[in-house]
Amino acid sequence: MDPECSRLLPALCAVLADPRQPVADDTCLEKLLDWFTAVTEAGSSLLLLQENPCLVELLFHVLKSQDLSSRILSFSLRLAGIFAAQENCFQYLQQGELLPMLFGEVGPLGGAAWTAPAVRSGWIQGLRTLAQHPSALHFLAACGAVDTIFSLQGDPSLFVASAAGQLLVHILDLAMRGPAEGRRSLQACDWPACAQKIVGHIEDSLCSTAIPQVTQALSVLTTAFGHCHGLWTQGLWVRLSPLVARLLEKDPVPASHSLVDLLLSVARSAPSSDRGLWETLAQTLSHLSPTQAGPLALGILKLQDCPQVLRTQAFGILLQPLACVLEAAAQAPGPPGLLEGAAGDSMTVDTLLSSKSACVGLLCCALAHLGLLQPLPQRPSPWPQAPLLGAAVTILRLCSGSAAPTSDVGGRLCAILVGCGRVQRAALDFLGALSQGTGPQELVTQVFSVLLEYLVSPESSSMVLKKAFQATLRWLLSSPKTPGCCDLDPHTQLFLTELLPVLQKRLCSPCWEVRDSGLEFLTQMTRHWGGQAGFRQALLASEVPELTKQLLRDPESYVRASAVTATGQLSSWGLCASPECPGAQQESLLVELLHILSTDSEGFPRRAVMQVFTEWLRDGHADVAEDAERFVAGVLQAASRDLDWEVRAQGLELALVFLEQLLGQRGSHCPYAEALPETAPPGVLAQALQVLCRVQLFEFAFRALFDCDRPVAQKSCDLLLFLRAKAAPCGGPQEAGDSPNVASVEATLQRWQAGEQGQPLGYLEPGAVVALLRSVDLEGLRDTLAESSDHVEKSPQSLLQDMLAAVGVLGENEADCY
Amino acid sequence: MPEIRVTPLGAGQDVGRSCILVSIAGKNVMLDCGMHMGFSDDRRFPDFSYITRSGRLTDFLDCVIISHFHLDHCGALPYFSEMVGYDGPIYMTQPTQAICPILLEDYRKIAVDKKGEANFFTSQMIKDCMKKVVAVHLHQTVQVDDELEIKAYYAGHVLGAAMFQIKVGSESVVYTGDYNMTPDRHLGAAWIDKCRPNLLITESTYATTIRDSKRCRERDFLKKVHETVERGGKVLIPVFALGRAQELCILLETFWERMDLKAPIYFSTGLTEKANHYYKLFIPWTNQKIRKTFVQRNMFEFKHIKAFDRAFADSPGPMVVFATPGMLHAGQSLQIFRKWAGNEKNMVIMPGYCVQGTVGHKILSGQRKLEMEGRQVLEVKMQVEYMSFSAHADAKGIMQLVGQAEPENVLLVHGEAKKMEFLKQKIEQEFRVSCYMPANGETVTLPTSPSIPVGISLGLLKREMAQGLLPDAKKPRLLHGTLIMKDSNFRLVSSEQALKELGLAEHQLRFTCRVHLHDTRKEQETAVRVYSHLKSVLKDHCVQHLPDGSVTVESILIQAAAHSEDPGTKVLLVSWTYQDEELGSYLTSLLKKGLPQAS
Repeated sequence: MDPECSRLLPALCAVLADPRQPVADDTCLEKLLDWFTAVTEAGSSLLLLQENPCLVELLFHVLKSQDLSSRILSFSLRLAGIFAAQENCFQYLQQGELLPMLFGEVGPLGGAAWTAPAVRSGWIQGLRTLAQHPSALHFLAACGAVDTIFSLQGDPSLFVASAAGQLLVHILDLAMRGPAEGRRSLQACDWPACAQKIVGHIEDSLCSTAIPQVTQALSVLTTAFGHCHGLWTQGLWVRLSPLVARLLEKDPVPASHSLVDLLLSVARSAPSSDRGLWETLAQTLSHLSPTQAGPLALGILKLQDCPQVLRTQAFGILLQPLACVLEAAAQAPGPPGLLEGAAGDSMTVDTLLSSKSACVGLLCCALAHLGLLQPLPQRPSPWPQAPLLGAAVTILRLCSGSAAPTSDVGGRLCAILVGCGRVQRAALDFLGALSQGTGPQELVTQVFSVLLEYLVSPESSSMVLKKAFQATLRWLLSSPKTPGCCDLDPHTQLFLTELLPVLQKRLCSPCWEVRDSGLEFLTQMTRHWGGQAGFRQALLASEVPELTKQLLRDPESYVRASAVTATGQLSSWGLCASPECPGAQQESLLVELLHILSTDSEGFPRRAVMQVFTEWLRDGHADVAEDAERFVAGVLQAASRDLDWEVRAQGLELALVFLEQLLGQRGSHCPYAEALPETAPPGVLAQALQVLCRVQLFEFAFRALFDCDRPVAQKSCDLLLFLRAKAAPCGGPQEAGDSPNVASVEATLQRWQAGEQGQPLGYLEPGAVVALLRSVDLEGLRDTLAESSDHVEKSPQSLLQDMLAAVGVLGENEADCY
Repeated sequence: MPEIRVTPLGAGQDVGRSCILVSIAGKNVMLDCGMHMGFSDDRRFPDFSYITRSGRLTDFLDCVIISHFHLDHCGALPYFSEMVGYDGPIYMTQPTQAICPILLEDYRKIAVDKKGEANFFTSQMIKDCMKKVVAVHLHQTVQVDDELEIKAYYAGHVLGAAMFQIKVGSESVVYTGDYNMTPDRHLGAAWIDKCRPNLLITESTYATTIRDSKRCRERDFLKKVHETVERGGKVLIPVFALGRAQELCILLETFWERMDLKAPIYFSTGLTEKANHYYKLFIPWTNQKIRKTFVQRNMFEFKHIKAFDRAFADSPGPMVVFATPGMLHAGQSLQIFRKWAGNEKNMVIMPGYCVQGTVGHKILSGQRKLEMEGRQVLEVKMQVEYMSFSAHADAKGIMQLVGQAEPENVLLVHGEAKKMEFLKQKIEQEFRVSCYMPANGETVTLPTSPSIPVGISLGLLKREMAQGLLPDAKKPRLLHGTLIMKDSNFRLVSSEQALKELGLAEHQLRFTCRVHLHDTRKEQETAVRVYSHLKSVLKDHCVQHLPDGSVTVESILIQAAAHSEDPGTKVLLVSWTYQDEELGSYLTSLLKKGLPQAS
């Protein structure tokens, strides 16, 4: 421990033990415990206590004090746990009988303080930390802690109850591990007494008629199978599985959600040859309601090794709701549905029709589960892509009211689903996920048609529209290319001509979320298809580019930013300009974006401009390449004045791209490239430095080096280090190290470093720059910047000082907040 | 049993981060989704694993409601919606939706600026989260789905702050968020109608405090700023971009105008421009005085307050600077503080709360030698002042709100346990309602008796009306019928209609009972005695003695038989239909008392 902290500790302990001194900030005690955990992990707890007797004194004092706050009591219990985690320190504390007094019947457990959930939580957490060695097990048994933990499983506080369950698992694992683990038989009768007691309690709970108790037992077991991987868990399952199976005989199945969690947890940890387990899983699938069985079915299908029969059963459960919808909406007997022969399971139909919330819940779950399954390598094969597409389209049509089912069930489903945003969102997500597979052209046409229907519909909410745009993009990008041709296939081309007028309309939506989603969609589409003749033609024939440009002046800053990105992207592909006079249009866009950069009152559009400019420079955009020097100078000048640190940081990114273009890449192929870049040839270097000086890149970078926002300073430091390695390798000639210009610049830099950044740097000569790069301690700065800006404040010493300083000055600030 | 369940994941007996789960009539709602600025690890966010274990978040939660833009109420929202995976609707007022992203960006910057916080939400995530927001207007009833509806009320605490009523059928909960019952310079007082919710969840920050008038604090603030400026010193006021900054700006602007002061006042950051822009946009949400003034001139078009440039900090002479962030933990405010700290003529005024670890917290607790980066020690000679301008209802205000809303139960959040305890007793005594104060993770369950609307068939109503009594709301009447529950609808119809509608055949159900009478006479004579007795007692009923010897009263049939073992005892078999249940029971009890002696 730091000597300074050691010096402050007695005073702090005295403050903590004094009930008249409230603790300044509710995070302090947590941070103090973090610190003690770190200290004890790094060294001996026993030594810590011996060198700082105030700590043990504090624990004794806490026990004696009557009117101590529950927070301090809870803190002390956890602190004692941290110390006692090391066995020798545990013995040391035991000698003073401190631990039984803290954790036993005579301690807070029997007092009024126990009513505070914080104290019960502290008690559990203390024991959880303490229980690391065999002595701890004996202690737990001797002080009767296990019984208390049993009762805390039903605590009114979720946090305490959950922690109690986890502690039981931890104790069980501790008891079962140990040197004898390998020799222990699977028969529970020769397990340690403590383990037997816990297992006995779980057995009793599983047989209980009280559902909360069953739930507790199931969640303890779930944790055990999820976290413990000893051989003993197999024995545990052998012993308990009959009791678990017996739960399935009850109607309804109690604590079904916890049961599903447990079975999946066991299945993930059990060897694949366990037939009994597969049977239980199959039984559970058939006993649970469709809604309850969904998560189990998904879990089963995600398992690596699992019998095919079970997988088929599970997949059937997930498909069932969609099969019902398909069947209900079918106009006439058509091609085979999702589940041949079994479509329209009566229980699923009943659930779907029982109430709106049940129907919506079941459909959303089924769609989400199938969507999650779709991209997995272990998804069922063959994957019924076509019927699933049909189901998704049907659901979307039922929701929009455009389906006209003739059957009674179909009609009722339609009444339930029409206008239901939740199902619409889930179905659109699912439809998007299905774009990864192919489907018959007829169905794909239906997909595009339903997507268009949603994009057009005035009923679609902004979130539904966003998802419709996302799904459309996924389908468009996955549409097949015509063989032997790099252009879009005729169907896509046709769809585009229908889509663009809709996009146009959406870009004029009164709702900013919709305009923004439209712009994001346009940007993505252009990024992928900017080079496709068909897309270019369709886009240029529409008013979309013009509207996008108009949105640069949107009242909503998010939309302006998206418009900047979209126009930037369009311009990169030459899609901003009308074919007659390309130059004029492009020029005006550059000027317009520069105007936004210097005048927009909000950060998002300015950041977007910087990103577009960086991309333009990197990709050699025609207008930038025309006079890159003037472009960079203008942008850096605007960025250096910006109040938003991300704009300044992006300015450095742009500067770096420019540097790389002048001096060569940083060489990303080599991990040491950044440290050892190749030096540029002298001729190139001199020329490059001249250019850099002319665009005032150094003034920008040096100013950024002392920026009050750390990420900016860090980025600048990296940039200057790169430049120095390129331009001024160690040992090189000192070109202008002693010139008066350098001295004055150094003086200015020092003032900048001190925070006085009013004075400009003035024009720099390349020689002076090289000299400066050598003289500034960039490595030192980099190390300082690498530390968190609040690393001093975060130090334990600072914490102790703050806690001590807060004594007596509370009062009015105490209850204040934001 | 229908019930309302409330579980705070945050703000239960603390003022850290608000996040309260409410289940009402099967609907689950999350109230606020705040973060704790005092932590820089996972502990800053509420532990959402307690919700995710109930299944998929979007399936479990019906909606999230955000009361106002303070980070302890909305800071975890992008994390929750974009990283934990909630994809459902989020409700807040329009100003909150506009201002939230600014503060979240501000916070993101601080978090990213700190080491080891790469796994943090991005700007894009903030935007995507904001797109899930449905903006609500005050007093507008918003239908979340067919059953769940919400309604916002003015809360006054900050611009756009709202209290929300959550209603399913006849059950309702009101959540206040943070609120202020006294109007201040730019905001009005909170108000709610007499909505009589089943539960009022109220903040209790100042549960035991009666706060002095804000005017005193304002006078004090102006005096201190004025004195410092007069003696040529500089005043630094670290603020968050929104809220207090605007309040204090109006204060200084008016004072400068009145006193004709010349010292410059600066805003140090671009964020504030945006903030003012929003304040202008949402003039309708501010208080009446500002709204009136706005007709003449915009109170937020400051004449004396200018944008700050970094170079100004070195200018000689007095000045006042508002700089972010508010706790002096990074960025511009810290940079200016470092520059000015050494001069005793200068002053820093902290207008809000600072968490441990920040320079703001240190100087407020009296530390004057601060270790900065690189082992440098900064000696603070400038004056340090703390002025609380936080706008929460005090104990009186909370009681006033409870009185206004007339809830059946009250639940306290966002306060300290000890103080809550005091207020709880006060509320229970004064309003005779139960008051709860669960800790984080504790669930409060309130049984409710929801009223379920039932449609009555015209036929049944007509039949009742035919009996001559006009309906009277104050006098409840007994009505017999058959309740049909179908397609989530409840209807009361006559039993004949029910049988017809459901296609069922009628079955007669008769109740029977044996009454033993001591009577040595023959069965027929006993029957005659029963007849005479009943005829004399039940004058309004039709009592008949049938030829087979049995006696009837309406549908009730009484037959006398000899006891198989005791000839001195007769057994009366009494049977009746369910329609005459009352009369049947009455007769049985009458006969059990025995027959009058023959005269």
